[in-house]
This record gives sequence, structure tokens and C-alpha cells, in this order.
Amino acid sequence: MKRRLTIAPTADDEIDQSSLDVFGLLRRVFSYARPHARARNHLIGLVIFRSAALPALAWALGAIINGPIQSGNVSAILLATLGFAALAAVVQYGFYFRIRFALELGEAVIHDIRHAVFEHLMRLPMSFYNRTKLGRIIGRMTSDLDAVRVGVQDIVFVSIVQAGNMVVAAVLMLWCDWVLFSIMLAIAPVIWLLNRYFTRRITEDQRKGQESFSRVTATLAESVNGIRVTQGFVRQDVNADYFRELVADHSRYSLGSGHTSAIFLPLLELNSQFFIAMLLVVGGYRSLDPDIARPVGDIVQFFFLSNLFFEPIKQLGSQYNNALTAMVGAERVFRLLDTRPEWTDPPDARPLPHLAGQVEFRDLTFGYDPARPVLRGINFLAEPGSAIALVGHTGSGKTSIINLVAKMYLPTSGTLTLDGNDITQISSHSLHRQMAVVHQQSILFEGTVLDNIRFARPEASVQMVIETARRLDCMDIFDALPKGLYTQVGEAGANLSAGQRQLVSFARALMVDPRILILDEATSAIDAMTEARIQRALTTLLQGRTSFVVAHRLSTIRRADLILVLDHGQIVERGTHAELLNLGRVYAGLHRHFTQSA
Amino acid sequence: MSPVSPPAREDEASDGELIWRLIALIWSYRTEFLQVVIYQIALLVLVLAGLRLTGVGIDYVRFVVQPGAPVPHWPLGLAPPAEWKPMQVMLAIGLAVFGLAAVRALLTYLAQSSMNMLTQGRIVVDLRPRVYDKLQRLSFRFFDANASSSIINRVTGDVQSVRMFVDQVLMQTIIVLVSFAAYVGFMLSVNVRLTVACLVVTPLIWLCSTIFARAVHPAYRRNRELMDALVQRLVESIRGIPVIKAYGCEEGEIRRFRQANDLVRDQQHWIFRRLAAYNPTVGFLSQATLFVLLGYGGYLAARGEIPIGTGLVVFAAILQQLAAQISNIANIANSMHQSLRGARRVFDILDEPVEIQSPVVPARPETIVGRVRFEHVWFDHGQNPVLQDIDFAVEPGQCVAIVGPTGSGKSSVMSLLPRFYDPTDGRILLDGIDLREFDVDDLRRRIGIVFQESFLFSSTVAENIAFGHPEASGELIEKAARIAAAHDFITDLPRGYDTVLGETGIGLSGGQKQRLAIARAVLLNPPLLVLDDPTAAVDPGTEHEIAAAIEAAMAGRTTFIVAHRPAMLRRADMVIVLEHGRLVQTGTHEDLMAREGYYCNALEIQNPGTAEGLVS
Repeated sequence: MKRRLTIAPTADDEIDQSSLDVFGLLRRVFSYARPHARARNHLIGLVIFRSAALPALAWALGAIINGPIQSGNVSAILLATLGFAALAAVVQYGFYFRIRFALELGEAVIHDIRHAVFEHLMRLPMSFYNRTKLGRIIGRMTSDLDAVRVGVQDIVFVSIVQAGNMVVAAVLMLWCDWVLFSIMLAIAPVIWLLNRYFTRRITEDQRKGQESFSRVTATLAESVNGIRVTQGFVRQDVNADYFRELVADHSRYSLGSGHTSAIFLPLLELNSQFFIAMLLVVGGYRSLDPDIARPVGDIVQFFFLSNLFFEPIKQLGSQYNNALTAMVGAERVFRLLDTRPEWTDPPDARPLPHLAGQVEFRDLTFGYDPARPVLRGINFLAEPGSAIALVGHTGSGKTSIINLVAKMYLPTSGTLTLDGNDITQISSHSLHRQMAVVHQQSILFEGTVLDNIRFARPEASVQMVIETARRLDCMDIFDALPKGLYTQVGEAGANLSAGQRQLVSFARALMVDPRILILDEATSAIDAMTEARIQRALTTLLQGRTSFVVAHRLSTIRRADLILVLDHGQIVERGTHAELLNLGRVYAGLHRHFTQSA
Repeated sequence: MSPVSPPAREDEASDGELIWRLIALIWSYRTEFLQVVIYQIALLVLVLAGLRLTGVGIDYVRFVVQPGAPVPHWPLGLAPPAEWKPMQVMLAIGLAVFGLAAVRALLTYLAQSSMNMLTQGRIVVDLRPRVYDKLQRLSFRFFDANASSSIINRVTGDVQSVRMFVDQVLMQTIIVLVSFAAYVGFMLSVNVRLTVACLVVTPLIWLCSTIFARAVHPAYRRNRELMDALVQRLVESIRGIPVIKAYGCEEGEIRRFRQANDLVRDQQHWIFRRLAAYNPTVGFLSQATLFVLLGYGGYLAARGEIPIGTGLVVFAAILQQLAAQISNIANIANSMHQSLRGARRVFDILDEPVEIQSPVVPARPETIVGRVRFEHVWFDHGQNPVLQDIDFAVEPGQCVAIVGPTGSGKSSVMSLLPRFYDPTDGRILLDGIDLREFDVDDLRRRIGIVFQESFLFSSTVAENIAFGHPEASGELIEKAARIAAAHDFITDLPRGYDTVLGETGIGLSGGQKQRLAIARAVLLNPPLLVLDDPTAAVDPGTEHEIAAAIEAAMAGRTTFIVAHRPAMLRRADMVIVLEHGRLVQTGTHEDLMAREGYYCNALEIQNPGTAEGLVS
């Protein structure tokens, strides 16, 4: 068994860097800087200033040595030094704003993108969440966005400054001695080619490295979440071996890219040293040859300026590399941001008026994958205020029906109407505000029990929450918690038992005073005593509301106004408990099983 | 047995202690580390030699061209033969500079790749599995007390922080120190007074770095916390998406996320101002040395006391290098804080006591018949008692059903058996032996566990069933699946037993998952079976299949089951009723139904019809 706890990388992680539209992505990232145009424009100004200022400083250094120092004029030396100091001070002052604005702009851009992504996430339909791993979303919001942040804060502006330095230094050198400069220019393509070759190799290694790292993280996340099972089944050693393999695999890629850059950087270094050697030989010749007799000062000037010419080539290489990483992050984030919802409310969606609660399915077909329908030819009418029980084996389509009523998915064909309004034509929000769902596995949020109960009605007073809990007849259970309603519900509600959590989600549903109530019954997690009280409370609660219950309990089923028996996506029987028992077919059979096991 | 709480700030190790621990950790890699240090020193020597040669070149040209220029100082007295023409000399110097550079390139390569090998190839590869392995052995309390995202980060980000200590902190510190010594030594050999004058500002730079680091350190910590909170928000919203959507609460979530998001941004601004002020300040201070060089050095050169090439130009180049090293100090300080913070979290894990330990000489009985006895067992999570004075005995092969209201301690009783926790007081005996005398792994292998909410891994069906025994044969797996009434639905899956489950794979219903969990539990053929409300997520249509499966699985095993349904309770040889952590009633279903009390009431209420029909 080779494949243990592995996670196959999915399409949205695989990004081919060679096909990456770096500049398009950069443009898109920077479109988020538009609201911060002032900082952005200042930055551009500062960057241009700095591009010219750094070569100017180097030039000044050489000029002072060649001029006043060579000629031995002490007062000129002092004056020149003071001038140099003043220029340096101005440059550094500009640098302060350059850094600050870049950092702030980067943060602001990330902040805005993060917000946009979250907003988008909230709008994506359930189908997205069923196929997307949580870890991937977190990855987008953390490491990928961090890469983009670095891109904005450092890479872009540093690159522009570097490129500017290169140009300005080139012009200065050209002006100073064009022959020496041509030698320099001849070396540049070598550096550029080296860069190209190695950058490709490094990015390729890094891409593979990231892929293998996402396997490490995914495995790790599963191990942490499944720790109880791991310990219960004494799997630690097997897992540890496997994890060691994964880590070793990842380190191979890190070593690979590390090795490539260990070759690459010294080669670049060697190139600029080659230039120094050439400078000495050619510059020396041009000074020594009485026919040419260039001043010795040229060598000194070039010595300082050449750095500003070669350094950027190196830097720009690695900056391009970083930019690629950043843009891979950006590409992933934007892909998430561009994920089209499979469906949205039509632009002219009407808000649903206050519902009486009539729900009708007409010739409805539905499949999560339209090619494989899980519901076929569903027809039924739920009168306002009636209780509909959905009965059937696992996979018979009960959950799909409630998912459709809750407008988590849209019908593939046929219609679903609420008080005669086609569900596809109404706004989801207006429906959800009149509806409550209790999921089989209760999902609670970080915060107090109180916060959780009034989750959908944050404006509700404590008194209202208490009243709701009383109506559910479970206030005593909340009171018995360590801090009553103010008890913190930890991550995944770790401090509450499954039954207590279930009660909280019941109360949360009740708070909403919904017109349509959907219960994916999970009452078996609640002990008999507590459940009995909930059953009582639900009886009064269901009064006057249309309810859909995926029913597991005989008591719930028996009370229903209409029982729909589902089998392989079709309604095979319908009627009340008594009618169906008399029919003596599928439901009667299920009932027999049930009473035998109960 | 101390409860694990989030790390208390007071008893945190000091930075100094942490650094020593890190160095101790690195000590086992000392040879590799030393090798890199040697490369770095050699590199430094070469850099200086190259610079010196360049300076000599400039001086030589001046000497030849400008009458009255000083005679160049040839390094190590290697003056060129007098008969060489000036051009020949320059060519020789040029070749020498290039030759040195070639050696330098080779050394840089060696230094980099060895460092890489040491950090990525050795340290990270050793440490990550170590932390992971330790994590797996920590008690449930640890996982109860720490958010999973933060735990995950310890193995990923925080281990990288330890690596960072090696290459970004320790190695960089050595490089800074060595190059400082070498550069200053070189400068002193040229001119003492100029050197002193140039270095006067250096302490200021250092002071600046220290003040900055002190100021920013707590802000970074706060930043990390805010970022954690933001990620936590995100995780919650994604996990809770069914609820958020069903109640139309997207806007509220967006608002809450925005708040967390704004907090991160606004706090960052504080750091940014300081960060932005720091770099130019240090930059200017290090440039100040250049002013001194130009003013004072220029004066000296003008008076002919130092040469322009080996004097001024080389000084300027060295000062630039020095400035780079000094600004490196700030990076080092920064990396140090980051790496110490990460290292602290890594050591937290490595130091976390493994609460549940096997004795040195564990009891290893040949067979376990499955006689269980709870002897005045008390248990708590550090605050209120969860179980109080639980005392009962179970004969081998018996089935014990545990009943009680929500929060009465049923799950706690179950989790004491495989020693997920140990009792605070009293003891639990298996075949007359205290559970704590067994080897923990051995004990757990003899207990088949089904949790309330089954957790399946992103792996195939077969691998999930064989989770506790990865070498299990296909036959064995299928047998377990049949017992758990899972075989039929498994063969209906697209790829049968090879179907991949989990987030990326196919989704299963609650009932199907639970049946796989039961198969996983019975695969080991354990003498003890612990079922924590296994039917909680199973609909009645399939529940009878599971009931039959449990029935089959129970044969010949002592079984503990948290149950609500009368059928299961009737089947049990003994029913234990818990209320508020106390054992309030015990007996058979019939005994208890005949008695007034919680049990009788609860069952009556739950299913009046069936109860009547079935009790008769």
C-alpha cells in the first residue's frame, strides 16, 4: 500500500510559470492600488528620484577623488565632502518615504484583495465548498497573498530603482569613456543569458517544491484533525514514517533549487569580477598609451559606477524570480477570485414577500453533476404550515430535497415554487432570512453560547435568547454550563458535548422565527431525556411553519402531515403514517425494521 | 498530571536560554557548520586580496602616468620584475584579479551548497518529523487546548524558523564578526588614524539597530497574533458555510472578517513607520563614514600620506562592504526574533510532557479476556469533576450500555478505557491489571474504537479500514467490511475498495462513514470494543444493519457502548446510567424499567409506542 494519506494536487494549484502573464498580473495587482493613488504617485516620484540619485552619489564620490583630492586642494575637498553629505541626506530622507509608502501600499493592496476574496467566498454556492479543500483557501489567503505583498512592497519598486540606476549609471559611464563602457556592455548579454537559464531552472524547482510542500501541509492538517483516530488505532509510527518520506521528498526540491542558485550566483559574481579585471587592463592601457592618455580617474569613476550597472543585473534576475513567485501567488488568488459561481440569482431577482410557506416541486430533476441525476421526477406540494417527513435509505435523495428547498443548489430541470414564486427568480437572501436549517452535525462558531444562538439575529437581546431557550425547554441545560450562556464554544465546539451543541443549533434556528424550517434530524446524538423535551418544544414550534425533516425518529415521522418515501432519487410512496402502514409496502417495511431495532 | 493550557507567558524560557538550546541542537551538525565557516573565511580573504590588487592597479597606472605620484605598495612584496613593460604589469594584475575571482566563485558555490545541504537537507529533514512524531504522541488535552491551525504551523513555519536561526542568524553573525575583524584589520594596516576616524560612527549604527529591534519585537508578536486571529476567522467562516448560507448571514461574516482584516492592516502601519525610519537612518550613518573618508582621507591623500588606489578607493569599497554587514545586523536581529519565536513554539512541543506513558516494564499478558473494573474513578479536565467515584465491574464478553443525559460523562468513561486520558483518582483494571501498567500502544491495539463522529482520511476505502493495521490483507479488510455491513455499498462505489475518500475524494453519508469506522474498529479483532454512540449519525433504515453488525462484532468481546435506542439497551447485559458524572443506576434493561428513575422516564418519553410494545 503505497498511497497513504496522500492528497492529489488539484488543478487550481498547478500553475505553469512559463505561461504566466507576469505583467498582466502585475497590472491587475496594481489596479488595487487605485484607491490609494496618492501614495502610489508619491512612490513613483520617489522611485524616479532614487534611480538618479544613487548613481549621482557614486559619480560624486569618484569626481571628488579625481578632482580636489588628486589636485590636493584641501578646502575644495572639505567643500565637496559637505556637498556630498548634503546630497546623501536628501537621498536617505527620500528613502524613508520610499520604504514607508511601499510598505503601506503593499499592505493596503493585500488588505483589499483579502477582503475581496472573502466577499467572493461568501457568495460562492455550496457546490464550490464541496470540491474545495479548506487548506487551499487558507493557502490563498496567507502564503499566496504574502507573496503578492512582497511583490508590491519590495520587488516592483526595488526593481524600478535598480533598472533606473542601471540606465543612469550607463549614461554617466558612456559620457565618461565610451570604450570602457562598450566592454561593459559586451558582458551584459552573458549575464542576461546566465540569468535566463538559471532562473528557469530555479523556478521550476521551486514550483515542484511548493507542490510537494502542499502535500506535507495537507497531510499534516489531516493528522492533526484525525489525531484521535490515529492514537486510538496506534498509527503513529506508520504516519511518522510516511511523513518522513514526504519531508525528505520536499527537501529534495529545496536542495535542488538551492544547488542551482549556488551555481548561479557565483557565476554572476565572476562576471562582474571579470569586468574589474578588464577595467584594469583596458583602462590601464588607455592611460598608459601616450596616444590615448585618458586620465587615470576614469578607472576610479568606473570602479564605483560599474557596481551600479552590474548589481542591478544580478538583482533584477533574482527580483524577476521573486516576482514570478509573487505572481504565481497572485495568479492563484485571482483564479479563486475569478471562480465563477455555478449559478447566481438573476439580476432582476425579486425579494421574496413574507411567506405563507407553500412549497411545490413540479417534475423536478436534480443532480450535483447534471449528467448523474440524484432526484428524478419529483412532484409534491407542501401546504403552508405542514410538516413533511423525508424517509428513505442513505443516498435516496432526502438531503438533496432539503438542499433544493434551502436554495443551496438549483434544480437541473422542473420547477420549485415557494408561495408560487419560482425559486430561481427570487433573491436567495430574502429566502434565507425566512428560513432556518438545523444540520445533522451542528456547526458552531467561536464565541459564547449566546453569540451562537443569536448568530442569525445578532441584534437580539439576551432576554430574547433566554426566552427562545425556554421555549425549547433547555434553558436549564445552558444554565448548567460552566458560564451559562456565556460559556465559550471552542474550536469546533470542543467544550460542549454533541448533544449540547445540537441544542444550541436548535435554539439558533428558533431565534429566527422561520417560515420554513429544515431539520436534518440528528436527534440520535441527543440523549433520550433531552430529546424528549426537544420533541415537545418542536411540536409547538412547528405549528404554523412549513417544515422539512429528514426524519430518523418514529415520533417525528408519525407526526408528519406528509411522509415522502424516497428510493434512488424518486418518490416511491407518499401519505400519512397510517395511510402508508395500511399500504403495506416500502414504508411499512421500513417501519417494521425500525420498530424491531428500536 | 498538569493540565495543558496555552503557554503561560511568565514561565517562558528567556531568549538567552533559547539561544543556548538552539546552539545545542546545532551542535550535532558542528562539522558541516564549521566547514561553511571555513569557506566563508577563505572567501573574505579572497575579497580583500582582489580589492587590494585593484587598488594596486590604479596606483600603478598613476605612478607610471603622473609624475610625482607615490610608488605603489605591492602586496606581500610581489613587485613585478623591473623589465616588464607597464602594459604587461597591468595584464598580470588583471589576470590575477580574475583568477582570484574564479576561486571565489568556486568557494561561494561550495559555501552556499553546503549551507543548503545542512539546513534543508539535514536540519529541517531531521526536525520536522521529530516535531510531527512528538505531536502524534501528545495527549488529547493538548489538542483540546490548541487550535489546529497553530499546531500545523509548528511543523511547517516554526521549524523553518529554527532553520532560519542556523543560516540567517548564527552563520550571518559569524560572517559579520569575521568580516568586521578582517576589514578593520586591513584598514588598520593601511592607515590607523583614518581607520579610527571612519569607524567612529559605527557604534551609533549598532545602537540604532538595537533600539529598533527592541521597539519592533513586541509589535511583530502582536502582528502574528492578529494574523492568526484573521486566519481563524476565515477557517470558521469556511467550516460554517452551510450555516452562514442557510441563514443568509454572509454580510455579517464579511463585516466580521473586515474587522479582523482592518486590525491587521492598521497594526502593520505602526511597524512600517519604524521600519521605514530605520533603514535610511542606518544608511545615512554608514554613509557618514564615507564623508569622513572623503574629507579626512582626501586630505591625507592630497598630502601624499596614503595612496589613492590602495588607500582611498579600497577604503571606500571596504566601507561599503562594512556598511552592508552592519545593516545586516538589523536583518540578523530581525531574523533572530522571528526564529526565536518559532523555536520557542517548536520547543514547546518537544518539551510538552507525553502525559500518557507506558511503564518501563509493561505488563504483557498473553491474552486478554476482557474483565474490566472501574475502581472509584474520578476524572476532571482541571476544573469541575467530569466523573465522580465511578465504580463498577464487567465480566468478560459482557455488553455494557452507558446511558445518561447530555454532558453526564458518557464519552469520558469511553475515553478513559484506551487511556486517551488517565483518571484523576481511582483506577481502571483490565483483567485485574491497572491500565497504566500496560504498554499504551499494546492496550489500544486491543481496543476497537468507534467515535461519535467518524473521521476518515483522504485515502482509499481499503486503507481507511486497514488504518490500525496497514499490512492487513484484502481478505481481512473485506471481512471487516462485511461485519460492518459496509461491503455492499463499498462495491457500489466507483472504484470499490480503491475509491478515494476525503475532501478531494468522494463524499459518503454519515451512515456509510460510520460503518467504515466500525469496520476499522473490528479489523483488529480486539477483545474490547468501545462504541461511543455509533448510531448517532445513522438513519433508522440502515440502523438495523449496524445493530446486527455490532451484534456480530460483540461476540466474544467485552463491549462498551453509549446508546439511546431501546433495542441496544435491551441487548446489553448491563446498563449504566450516568447523571452529572455520577453513576446513578445500574442493572439490566428489565431491572431498570421496573424501577422508578431516569432510565424508565427517558425511555417512556422517547418512544411511548415502541416502549410499550417491546417491553411486554
